[in-house]
Amino acid sequence: MESIEARYLYCIVKGNEEITLGNIGIEGSRVYTISYEDLCAVVHNCPPEPYKSEDNEVVKKWVMAHQKVIDTAWEKFGTVLPLGFDTIIKGEEGIAPDENMKKWLKDDYENLRQKLSKLKDRAEFGVQISWDPKIISEGLIETNPELKKLSEEIKSKPKGLAYMYKQKLENLLKKEIEKEADRYFKDFYEKIKKCVDEIKVEKTKKLEENKQMLMNLACLLSKEKSKILGEELEKINNIKGFFVRFTGPWPPYSFV
Amino acid sequence: MEPSRDTHATLVDLLDRILDKGLVINADIIISVAGIPLLGVNLRAALAGMETMLKYGVMQAWDEKTRAWEREHWKKNIPPLVEGEEIALKIYGSYYYSKGIYNAWKPGYFYLTNKRLILHRQDFNEITFQIPLEEIKALVMREEAHFVKEKKKQVLYLVDKQDRVYLLSAAETNQLKDAIVQNLETMRLSLEESPILPEFEKVPIDFLTEGEEVTHRGKKVWYLVPASGIQKETWMPGHLYLTDKRLCWWYDFERKLYFDVPVNRIVSVNTEMRKTGGLTSKKEKVLDVAYRFNSAKTIASFSGGEQIDEWAEVLNRFVSGKISEETETCPQCGKPASEKELLEEGCQSCGWVSPRLKKKLAKAALSAE
Repeated sequence: MESIEARYLYCIVKGNEEITLGNIGIEGSRVYTISYEDLCAVVHNCPPEPYKSEDNEVVKKWVMAHQKVIDTAWEKFGTVLPLGFDTIIKGEEGIAPDENMKKWLKDDYENLRQKLSKLKDRAEFGVQISWDPKIISEGLIETNPELKKLSEEIKSKPKGLAYMYKQKLENLLKKEIEKEADRYFKDFYEKIKKCVDEIKVEKTKKLEENKQMLMNLACLLSKEKSKILGEELEKINNIKGFFVRFTGPWPPYSFV
Repeated sequence: MEPSRDTHATLVDLLDRILDKGLVINADIIISVAGIPLLGVNLRAALAGMETMLKYGVMQAWDEKTRAWEREHWKKNIPPLVEGEEIALKIYGSYYYSKGIYNAWKPGYFYLTNKRLILHRQDFNEITFQIPLEEIKALVMREEAHFVKEKKKQVLYLVDKQDRVYLLSAAETNQLKDAIVQNLETMRLSLEESPILPEFEKVPIDFLTEGEEVTHRGKKVWYLVPASGIQKETWMPGHLYLTDKRLCWWYDFERKLYFDVPVNRIVSVNTEMRKTGGLTSKKEKVLDVAYRFNSAKTIASFSGGEQIDEWAEVLNRFVSGKISEETETCPQCGKPASEKELLEEGCQSCGWVSPRLKKKLAKAALSAE
């Protein structure tokens, strides 16, 4: 039966001992390492088909278990190259999955080593900065003379005309907010860049009604430096109308 | 600021990483799942909403499924036909359904087959109306007022062999009629030429008392519903009926009588051009029916265009014989006089004039200047 089995791959770590990490894998599978030279693949044995389920709760558990294994390996080996969910190495006719795995480790050895050394002692942190457009608009109306003038004019206009003015104000406000967003983005980016080793700009996401995401970053830095980054983010978080989400440390998913 | 990895708050962050990122193995040694994140899509969609679903093409698949279902659905959803029955025409339309308090144009698709005319409601797979072609006696096209005043609606009155009348309307009513005629011709059936339409009551007259008969009716008539509570007086659409006992106004929307007065209480009927409010400042002909109510006199006002004259004539004929007999006393000096005289000319002895007449006279004087 061994030959039709496959290996669910969690991550690649630096090390050369074949050990077991315990039954901490998906569905309580036994997690162990397969080594090639000084590289180890952290795996569990599974049937040669992807995990799939309609049940969100089940999937959630799997995803959590996947993360748990990587975290454990990370702690133990210091540096990890994490893999995405459901990466399963299959065997082929006459070739066991372990052989396939080792062959891949061998073929990609240099590349993997390089990546591991780059990521050594570093972690990924998520930084998401958003603002409340309402608060920002209010601030802009106060500080931007053109907007201020327009909004004051509205008050003295009759209903119909006031509506037209309001539209005008809204259009202008929209442009100004975009400008403001660009300005803040550059400003924050520069500030954050100084505290980290590498930044990846991710797509922004839709948030709830009164919040808008300005920037979504994945940052690579050493865990110790996270304090400096945290201080910088604190400053941003204290600006009226701004909110910062600071998550991590994550295994360096975005930098492999 | 401390970074956090609280599992609940960061599940989305975790998913973003685990499902989209991580080391990619460009090799054929892995079991390929068409797009690795496939598994997590449900969960992520639930967490991240529609946008993500679209991003991952879930909606496309869903959309395709829906379409397929819809196609199947449509295929199935034609009215069941008998053997040898063939559809000659399918056209969107409606049929005036009236039963109890329910009155409405019921929409659906007309299917004209070589055997029947069917109105089918796709959504419920229900046949609302059907008639074998040989049962059709006559077809008459009429233009009727649409909801929108300026528009006219083509209505096909279908009369069956039992002289029952059905009102049909279609996207192209003419087309429906022509197709029915054509089908009948091929069946060597002929329609009655210039048929007399039996009266069709769109409004069910169920307010009549025993032995009561409608002696006059007309098109839509607006009634100035008197103010009550916070509701100001308002013009409302309905139908006016004169029976041998009463004058009644039926409110179309609520399907009940809003006004009825025994005919022997009507004391006078007048018409006048006046503004009826609303957006147009155009004057309309208004019929004022004065009647006695709890020994006080009340006036009910109706409008409805040209037919108002006709109504005035009919009602006047009804009351004219009585009005001169009706004596009232002058509200100022108490001298008895004929009511008509008092109302139309004022009191001969003290010179009292009714407020309405006063207004009228003032207006006349103003326009004379």
